[in-house]
Amino acid sequence: MPLVTNTLIDTLPRAARNRLLSICESVDLVAGHIVSGSDAPTRHVYFPTGSILSLMTSNKDSPVLEIGMVGSEGMMGLQVVLAAGSVPLEGSVRGPGTAWRIATESFNRELANSRALRQSLNRYLQVILLQLTTEARCVRFHQIDQRLARWLLMTHDRTHADSFGVTQALIAHLMGVRRVGIAKAAGTFQRRGMIKYVRGVLTIVDRTALESESCSCYDTARKTYARFMS
Amino acid sequence: MSVHAVPLIAHFRKNRLLSSLPSTEWKRWSASLEAIEMPLGQVLYEPGVALNYVYFPLTSIVSLLYVMENGASAEIAVVGNEGIVGVSLFMGGESTPSRAVVQSAGSGCRLKAQIMKDEFNKAGPVLHLLLRYTQALITQMSQTAVCNRHHSLDQQLCRWLLLSLDRLEGDELVMTQELIANMLGVRREGVTEGALSLQKLGLIKYSRGHITVLDRPGLEKRTCECYAVVKREYDRLLPPGIAT
Repeated sequence: MPLVTNTLIDTLPRAARNRLLSICESVDLVAGHIVSGSDAPTRHVYFPTGSILSLMTSNKDSPVLEIGMVGSEGMMGLQVVLAAGSVPLEGSVRGPGTAWRIATESFNRELANSRALRQSLNRYLQVILLQLTTEARCVRFHQIDQRLARWLLMTHDRTHADSFGVTQALIAHLMGVRRVGIAKAAGTFQRRGMIKYVRGVLTIVDRTALESESCSCYDTARKTYARFMS
Repeated sequence: MSVHAVPLIAHFRKNRLLSSLPSTEWKRWSASLEAIEMPLGQVLYEPGVALNYVYFPLTSIVSLLYVMENGASAEIAVVGNEGIVGVSLFMGGESTPSRAVVQSAGSGCRLKAQIMKDEFNKAGPVLHLLLRYTQALITQMSQTAVCNRHHSLDQQLCRWLLLSLDRLEGDELVMTQELIANMLGVRREGVTEGALSLQKLGLIKYSRGHITVLDRPGLEKRTCECYAVVKREYDRLLPPGIAT
């Protein structure tokens, strides 16, 4: 079984990678744990290796929305890279698993000294800017089944397995839609043999079908990542 | 179409990012900054097309729009005299994911792409300033997404008016309902209805493409939390304005 690592770290030049890894601490994250509170000082940055982290808006007067999904392709804590210290978004663990974690001060020191790290994260920032643009567009214009297909594919990409635990209520919450909408779309996907959903465990059965069901936002995001990060 | 005088170099400092440059940087930059007029509807960037300049609005407002395959578009962020258009460029990108178009006519200045990249890579105070601006922009984009999902057209309209107003010198916006509908990604009828109800409440006056804001606190009360979140982040992350 291949060792799951983090692409951002893996693609750094060897010296920069080794320096960064030397200040990393390996952590095992449990689902639901909040890694960075909204408007709170960011204490750590995370490079997931097996876990999935969610970046959520945190309005007090309205439901939330997941605006970022970070797995082993990315990093949580870009506000540190952007010299902002905190951000009005909440970062939490959606899929349990491992991650590399670095204390903000150590990370800042390394960032100041490593041109390669800065350049790589600047490229990643562009991916995130595009992801946000895509997200705003997707919630405005796309149908719930297109969005669900995209969400499932994004999760699948970051899970490193065909099955993962998730409730329909959670998906509805993250996507900012009603539960019945998700139940209906998921039911259709299941009948068409694209997914299987048994007692809180969702299995991706036919990825290709999901890809053609999804809006173009999924493909756009994937191509952007490939263009900037490889 | 009205003609907007090309600004003098001293006016460049109306842009909050430019105004907070230390004197060494300012001296170097002012030699390369080029004054421009920014007429309504002018397209500064198309998505995926190489960037030649970054732009600093002075009295104009620029909309960053996402564009759909079918040509429909909607706004994801606004940039006025607090900011810079073209952050992708100093992140090392050759193009941007969005279209940038002048939403409110006025003046601005621009800097050649290569000069901007060199300045960014020198690190120091400029790097810090631009990074924090990028974080503020990210917050605005995130709030646009959540606002698109959860809030009424009325609330979105108020948010949009307030964000625009913060970037203008007066209380008046020159703007057709058609254009607002394009920005918000909704049908024009919805905007007409929303504007009418705001007018009935005495919050704005709308006549022949001119929107005058009469009761700003009233708009703030009526809008969703998104406006306050964005405003607070801009105030926290960016240097204070000099004009307002």
